[in-house]
Amino acid sequence: MDTSRGDVGIAIRSAFLGKGSKQKFSLIVLIIFSIVLIFAERIETKPLNYIRGFLKDTIYRGSLFVSLPTQSFNSIFHTTRNHLNLYTNYENLIVENNKLKNSISKQDFLEMENTQLRKLIEEQISSSANLVSARVLMDQKSPYLNSFIINAGANKGIKNGMAALDGENFIGRIVDVSFFSSRVLLVSDLNSRIPAITEPSGFHAIINGHGINNPTLEYLPINHNVKDGDKIYTSGKEGIFAPGIPIGEVKIENNIINVLLFSDLSQVTFANVKLGDKKNYK
Amino acid sequence: MAINFNRSKTKIFELLPLFLLFYISLNGSSVFNLVLFSINIQYIIIYYWVLKEPEYMGYGFIFLAGVITDIVLGLPIGVTALSLLVVAGFASYTRVVTVRVTVVSNWISFVPALIAANIFYYTSLHFSEFSINYLYLFRDSFFTFLFYPVFWLLFTLILKLAKI
Repeated sequence: MDTSRGDVGIAIRSAFLGKGSKQKFSLIVLIIFSIVLIFAERIETKPLNYIRGFLKDTIYRGSLFVSLPTQSFNSIFHTTRNHLNLYTNYENLIVENNKLKNSISKQDFLEMENTQLRKLIEEQISSSANLVSARVLMDQKSPYLNSFIINAGANKGIKNGMAALDGENFIGRIVDVSFFSSRVLLVSDLNSRIPAITEPSGFHAIINGHGINNPTLEYLPINHNVKDGDKIYTSGKEGIFAPGIPIGEVKIENNIINVLLFSDLSQVTFANVKLGDKKNYK
Repeated sequence: MAINFNRSKTKIFELLPLFLLFYISLNGSSVFNLVLFSINIQYIIIYYWVLKEPEYMGYGFIFLAGVITDIVLGLPIGVTALSLLVVAGFASYTRVVTVRVTVVSNWISFVPALIAANIFYYTSLHFSEFSINYLYLFRDSFFTFLFYPVFWLLFTLILKLAKI
């Protein structure tokens, strides 16, 4: 019994403490170093942030280079699929175009009314100069994190928490800023919680990401009357995002209020970052 | 001439697992995500090569690949490195205690390695206040285990080619 226990001890020592013939580090040293790194991730100091930022910028560039073949393959695949769906898309566009033509006059009126109302409540309408446009560098869909990297960072005044838009539609927020790049946590991610408001019903709620499926609308009042097709905007309630950024529309399935996003997150090439009032961000 | 060719060929095959590991890390495709299932290829590569030919797979490189994966995928730095090193540790232990490595013994001993790696992964993400889909991770581990023999055969073939 003692011998067998001793053998196990020797085997564990040999595996974790010993260095192999061509190994430069023992496993236990690297395991301890990894644990130290995990804890160091929570420490926010300027020198550490600089090192992290430099490391991330370098690896993002390397990753961009390495993923070129995969991206080219994906691009060919998408192009082929788009060509195959050309006729169906064309028919859908005709129907959509007719609908849009009908709604143009109504939209003009609403726009005018909206401008007047905004002036009335003296809300600051942010100008387009308040946006920073950036190209999506990497779109790595991890099963655990739906995010992508954009090629603008602290050098363009981007800070954590800022809203990221596709055109004018909300797609996520900045969660990690390096000097030349930043990470956008998409609204569909499991860690994403966005305060929102429904229109025309006017209920405040939280958009909850789920990773793979569409995000859902949660924390609505019990007696809400949100229905299919209701539009969803940022509420600006937290004071971080500007209010009224369009996000998506409601689709109720099996009593679950799904949010169909206005933007297709897999097709975003350029993202706008809303700088807003920088004092609000860290 | 022939000797030089053989040396170069052996060197290429020796570097192949490392090249594959770093390519996967930089490409952010450590989890091979298909429609119905997903496989963690990094776990399989590391477990196989540390068990069979540890000279081809340095622990320092495993650590580095883990750090790169964390940065590319946006996870707290050190989380993947830790879980990969745990897998390497189990592989190393199995190598020490096993006299003859067969696909079945190799496959079965992969289970505790996967469980331990996932426990470390969950725990470190939990402390980093990261939400993850546990069901997805369970499914990922299950299919990683299930597909291990397929990769075992593939890597054994590469190993044979390297030694011819």
